[in-house]
Amino acid sequence: MARDPKHDVLFQPIKIGPKTLRNRFYQVPHCIGAGSDRPGFQAAHRSIKAEGGWAGINTEYCSIHPESDDTHRLSARIWDEGDVRNLRAMTDYIHKYNSLAGVELWYGGSHAPCMESRATPRGPSQYASEFETLTYCKEMDFDDIAMVQQYYVDAALRSRDAGFDIVYVYGAHSYLPLQFLSPYYNKRKDKYGGSLENRARFWLETLEQVRRAVGHDCAIATRFAVDTLYGDAGVEVENDGIKFVGLADSLVDLWDVDVGDIAEWGEDAGPSRFYQQGHQVPWTRFIKQVSKKPVLGVGRFTDPEKMTEIVTKGIADIIGAARPSISDPWLPKKIEEGRYDDIRVCIGCNVCISRWEIGGPPMICTQNATAGEEYRRGWHPEKFPKKTSDDSILVVGAGPSGSECARVLMERGYTVHLYDTAAKIGGHLNQVTTLPGLGEWSYHRDYRELQIAKLVKKNKQSQVMLGQKPMTADDALAYGAEKIVIATGSSWNSDGTNCLSHDPLPGADASRADQLTPEQVMDGKKPIGKRVMILNADTYFMAPSLAEKLAMAGHEVTLVTGVHLANYMHFTLEYPNMMRRLHELHIKEIHNAFASSIEPGRAQIYDVFGDGSKRIFKGVGKIPRTPNASHRWMEFDSLVLVTGRHSNDSLHRELKARNGEWHKNGVRDVYLIGDAEAPRLIADATFTGQRLAREIEESKAQFPLPYRREVAVWGTSHMPGAEFDLEYKI
Amino acid sequence: MKILVAVKQVAALDEDFVIGADGRDVDAEFLIRDLNEWDDFSLEEAVRIKEAAADPVEVVVVSIGPEEADEVLRKCLAKGADRAVRIWDEAVAGSDPIAIARILAAVARQEAPDMLLAGVQSSDHGFASTGIATAGFLGWPHGAVVASLAYTSGEKSAVFRRELEGGLLHQVTIQCPAVLTIQAGINTPRYASLRSIKQAAAKPIDVRNLADVGISAHEVGEQGSLSHVRRMYIPDKGHAQLIEGSAAEQAKRLAGIIRAFKGEA
Ligand SMILES: Cc1cc2nc3c(=O)[nH]c(=O)nc-3n(C[C@H](O)[C@H](O)[C@H](O)COP(=O)(O)O)c2cc1C
Repeated sequence: MARDPKHDVLFQPIKIGPKTLRNRFYQVPHCIGAGSDRPGFQAAHRSIKAEGGWAGINTEYCSIHPESDDTHRLSARIWDEGDVRNLRAMTDYIHKYNSLAGVELWYGGSHAPCMESRATPRGPSQYASEFETLTYCKEMDFDDIAMVQQYYVDAALRSRDAGFDIVYVYGAHSYLPLQFLSPYYNKRKDKYGGSLENRARFWLETLEQVRRAVGHDCAIATRFAVDTLYGDAGVEVENDGIKFVGLADSLVDLWDVDVGDIAEWGEDAGPSRFYQQGHQVPWTRFIKQVSKKPVLGVGRFTDPEKMTEIVTKGIADIIGAARPSISDPWLPKKIEEGRYDDIRVCIGCNVCISRWEIGGPPMICTQNATAGEEYRRGWHPEKFPKKTSDDSILVVGAGPSGSECARVLMERGYTVHLYDTAAKIGGHLNQVTTLPGLGEWSYHRDYRELQIAKLVKKNKQSQVMLGQKPMTADDALAYGAEKIVIATGSSWNSDGTNCLSHDPLPGADASRADQLTPEQVMDGKKPIGKRVMILNADTYFMAPSLAEKLAMAGHEVTLVTGVHLANYMHFTLEYPNMMRRLHELHIKEIHNAFASSIEPGRAQIYDVFGDGSKRIFKGVGKIPRTPNASHRWMEFDSLVLVTGRHSNDSLHRELKARNGEWHKNGVRDVYLIGDAEAPRLIADATFTGQRLAREIEESKAQFPLPYRREVAVWGTSHMPGAEFDLEYKI
Repeated sequence: MKILVAVKQVAALDEDFVIGADGRDVDAEFLIRDLNEWDDFSLEEAVRIKEAAADPVEVVVVSIGPEEADEVLRKCLAKGADRAVRIWDEAVAGSDPIAIARILAAVARQEAPDMLLAGVQSSDHGFASTGIATAGFLGWPHGAVVASLAYTSGEKSAVFRRELEGGLLHQVTIQCPAVLTIQAGINTPRYASLRSIKQAAAKPIDVRNLADVGISAHEVGEQGSLSHVRRMYIPDKGHAQLIEGSAAEQAKRLAGIIRAFKGEA
């Protein structure tokens, strides 16, 4: 299909200072877990996007000096020649596709805990970070200011040497330049504090110096949170926001604008649970009204119609994207070629972000299982190795892992039969996406459903079999497949088995009228009483989501939670607004409490830390603490058991037990993937499907091949030419 | 006992397509071929009759088409047909449903089935006449748009229901041999397992030409057809226009368009 001419505006080049972006698609800075220490990962992940049509592609935040060290989290660094050498791989590979490479020069102030460097961060005033635990910065004097500004200049020069085309002074997410600008941090009384002109001084001077150093060769960009979203306590767009843009406009070649701060940066990287595409526009639209320079904005832009509107209505000149570029690195190319329905739309789950929040393991993506695997496993998101055998494959279960496995196998040219009892591809996602705010997660299913439908048309031997009776081991063995993939998913425990006791809960039984599993709640067939108790031992979204759903339906909901409620939602940035929802809906939360037994209409609750704090050896059969005496009964009309999940693996077990019958049935191997192997994140389940599909020819394909590791190598030093061997200063 | 099931390899349009040089059909390069949806149901109905029978029943699928139609015949073999017959001759190209029916009737005379099932219509051309015309040539009774069927192999007659307007059902008894055109949804067609697909791939397809079924070239193709496609084309589209501006501006503009449409402006 040809592209809609309406979208042509997105493919018009645009000049930014001395450089030209070849179109309007721009990957804003975002972490991936590569930084400067995994140059292969960095180069492959970013350049696949250049190949996929993104005109500008950035590093993640890139520290300019050991004083801005974010360890335990993982940033890029451009501290020295060693970093320059490693980052050069990224810029070289991006340049092969005529795209521009950008670097986001970052100084964190007290938000950078300096746990590796043990340096002292400096800031406009002394304050304790509201984001990081236990870090204060030193208030800068004029010498400090000059020094830190020189750090920016030196880092900019190194950036130019590393081949970067765009050099940022990063002042969004409450990092140093914004700390000077915002009265929330800046309490100074000298020429760097007080009036807007004074608060803006540090940022303007820094831009000026960086521009003088590299402005002939590189485009100077600045990232600015135009509204920190707490009124006049911080930066408000209609006040300091546009005024600052006016002051700095002549110093920048590109404005990269967003909203929010760092402590709640889910207001910028808004999860789909709370924010839709374009959610920042009401704030960022002001910038083009005052700036003469190209402006780019973000807001999970995935839809070419919306992007076109942003450009043609003059809201921004360039479409910035982080998550949509992770979910589909080839998004621009697909729009360019009119392949709209091949776009793998970001579902806004923020699992990508969770990895950075956890501290920087390689980024993962729920939609794009190849994200982070480009270099180390050699996976390309859009290209697949051709099959190497004529084996035909039966995939039992069309949920996230089964459908991904089937899709990739079909892409490779295999004949695949995808089988499920449900009438629709998607597995448990078909239920999960009915929970409040999770509708967009169904793009995960939709993408696979559509791609598989296309692939089945190409290979008539392949088929999708839905609404079937449960497959038995006899059926599977007789089916005629050389390889059988079991992807039968997992279920919530109906007997209360949980991560605290590792046993069923006495009295828990979801076959009873007054107890339910999450599936039963989502299914909506079982009557639910007025007073609902949700017993939780799960650390992600199920308990709060069910609480929200039931409270919205008029139930009185009490959450009793034995584990940190919604802990993983801290990492996906959904936590603050999820807690606000629970509060708005008057949901009662009882933390650090769990049930010891259940009877009709009531549960016996105890405090998890209700036993004695003193540990004393008392001999065999005696617990070494004073017994827990906090038990009390709590009534409910309905009890929802969010206590844990288990794999639906009986078919796999039976097939394994009957491996003596494989040969005579022509079965070469049987595999187990996704939640059926072990319950996990949808992203990880999807990954197991992709992984098996790519390695299915291996003799033990159930188990992953080793991947290429990027680690420091003994015998060489990070700094070119430096000593690597043990050396003491004695 | 024998049931003959007439099947067709239909064409579906790919995402993009162009009309061929003669202006009478889509360029074949842009067509995706598959078994006609309705035929999947008639085959399933035949296989069910066979599976329910006490005595052996042979299900024979027949298709009129070039070699590539073997693909749909193999699909039918994989789903439970016992034998596949394909009739082809260059002269058949350009046949309308009447000419096709003439050939099918000839095959039916050779095979002498107890029942002939066909789909109500084909998803590509949708004439809905091949099955009925075949009955005409054979002089057999027929039932069209059959939504449920009770037929035990060996019986002299079958009972079927047709859905009429207003929720009415037509229950009909018909003498065999008969031709029934089967409506989609009458059953849930089965899928073929990989094993049966592999077995079907190895089965022979009985290919016959016009002479084999005793039809001469002038009875088929354009010459033997009663209707002729003159042109296939995409009609000009109407033009839509997006009205932009504030609500008041949009309302004003819309009112203007309505007035112009009514001839008032
Ligand atoms: C995984 C991830 C890591 C991010 N890391 C950075 C970063 O290092 N520097 C930065 O300025 N913004 C970072 N962001 C924020 C994005 O640049 C962007 O502002 C935000 O995600 C909204 O854009 P989107 O809706 O297109 O995702 C990150 C976002 C994601 C998803």
